Amino acid sequence: MAAFPRDRAAIAGVGYTPFTVDSGVSTLTLAADAIEDALADAGLTVDDVDGLATHRVGDSTPPWVVAPVLGVPEVRWYLDQFGGGSVSHAVIGQAALAVAAGIADVVVCYRAINARSEFRMGGTGRAPAPVPDAQYQAPYGHFAPPQQFAMCARAHMNAYGTTHEQFGAVAVRQRAHAVKNPRARMRDPISLDDYLASRWVAEPLRLLDCCLETDGACALVVTSAERARDLRRPPALISGLAWGGGDSFYSDGTGDLTVTEAARLAPRLYADAGVGPGDIDVAELYDCFTYSVIVQLEDYGFCAKGEGGPYAQTGTLPVNTHGGFLSEGYVHGINHVAEAVAQLRGTAGDRQVPGAEVALSTAQPGYVLAATSAMILRADR
Amino acid sequence: MALSERPRPEPDRDSTEWWAAVRRHELTVQACDGCGVLRFPPRTVCNRCRSRAWRWVPVSGRGRVYSWVVTHQVFAPSFADEVPYTVLLVRLAEADDLFMYGNLAGGGPEELRAGDPVRAEFVDAARDLTLVQWRRELPGFA
Repeated sequence: MAAFPRDRAAIAGVGYTPFTVDSGVSTLTLAADAIEDALADAGLTVDDVDGLATHRVGDSTPPWVVAPVLGVPEVRWYLDQFGGGSVSHAVIGQAALAVAAGIADVVVCYRAINARSEFRMGGTGRAPAPVPDAQYQAPYGHFAPPQQFAMCARAHMNAYGTTHEQFGAVAVRQRAHAVKNPRARMRDPISLDDYLASRWVAEPLRLLDCCLETDGACALVVTSAERARDLRRPPALISGLAWGGGDSFYSDGTGDLTVTEAARLAPRLYADAGVGPGDIDVAELYDCFTYSVIVQLEDYGFCAKGEGGPYAQTGTLPVNTHGGFLSEGYVHGINHVAEAVAQLRGTAGDRQVPGAEVALSTAQPGYVLAATSAMILRADR
Repeated sequence: MALSERPRPEPDRDSTEWWAAVRRHELTVQACDGCGVLRFPPRTVCNRCRSRAWRWVPVSGRGRVYSWVVTHQVFAPSFADEVPYTVLLVRLAEADDLFMYGNLAGGGPEELRAGDPVRAEFVDAARDLTLVQWRRELPGFA
């Protein structure tokens, strides 16, 4: 049976640029800064790098530009993946496979975007991403990500009675985490009343349901578990990493927008890692919008289908401990992985989950592009 | 804004004929010649039996509201005068997994409920653009 090579690769370094609304620099510079920061964190230099990997949707600088600018001695493996948030973890998974296969020793994975000052996912009149479905939506004024997730959120409300207050609970709880995160862009606490008073963007989603389009970069160093154990930081072992696609909601035999690709991927992710939902100490769930957290709480098995709303209000699982995209900043997936690594190292400061040993981090759960990816990391203890 | 300034659909080689039918005020989907399953949007392969043989078939234009969004933010300049506006996702009467988008015609979203019966109407927005809209068939809205 096919399986991901459990615990063979590890994340040995994490790097960031500041998260801002206007970086003032190119995505090339952002990438270079985050990569060097991650290498320093791992106790490595550019001279140790032989692989680079990223994803983009025409909004960033590819590995074959970054590598020569940084002076990487020899690129033995690279990945320039098309895609947005749904492939964010797949990029790291492919880097882990390259390391496990022995064709690269030290791979830097990065995502570098001026997602506020240059390329706004939320739309500023720029043409939507070239997906075939857009032709059936755009003429009606339906093309921006908040609209697409709002349609799914409304379907969930219709099917399960999910409420505005439950969406709000996600926003309020994540903001409370961000208050404790010096890197977070939004650090003032918010109440449910603040949430309910925020303006509509695409009803049923309000301003405070939406992530923060952010300028910034984040980078991770992926290497073998053996090599990681000799480096500066304790490794975060990549126990499981799954990615894949499947249905769009069109003519797929299901006719249900309330179930995402994550529901199909989660069983094999857990099996590959040898753990279950009950073993997860901390979950960083892709939160482009509050609703995506609620549906993933269900589809990754933390509660039953339809119970994600109540779970968001009362569940005890620590979720998006950095504040998530809603309050730390939206770097398209990779900053969730970076936070998971900090939690497993025990270096998350005031927001540390005591004794966190197993973390789940997830990509966009499969709306829009019908693909997703996710990983389970564990501390090397 | 005038409807005539709406973003134009960008048909691909699988969908050109579908859009041409809409211009003639005909709402169609594909029917697989191999297994009979209906599908939308248009594409050349059946994802059940993988047959490449298919034909266009008309649908009734009737369906039920599955979900909807009321957009308040101006995401593109051509919609600045239209907000707030409602986009429906309609489940067609012919199959549970046939969905189409379109604006809500003839009323606001206040009384919308999942499962409301709706009927397609065609709006000739410009010389090169026909849009599909959906009107509720509830008593008092028909």
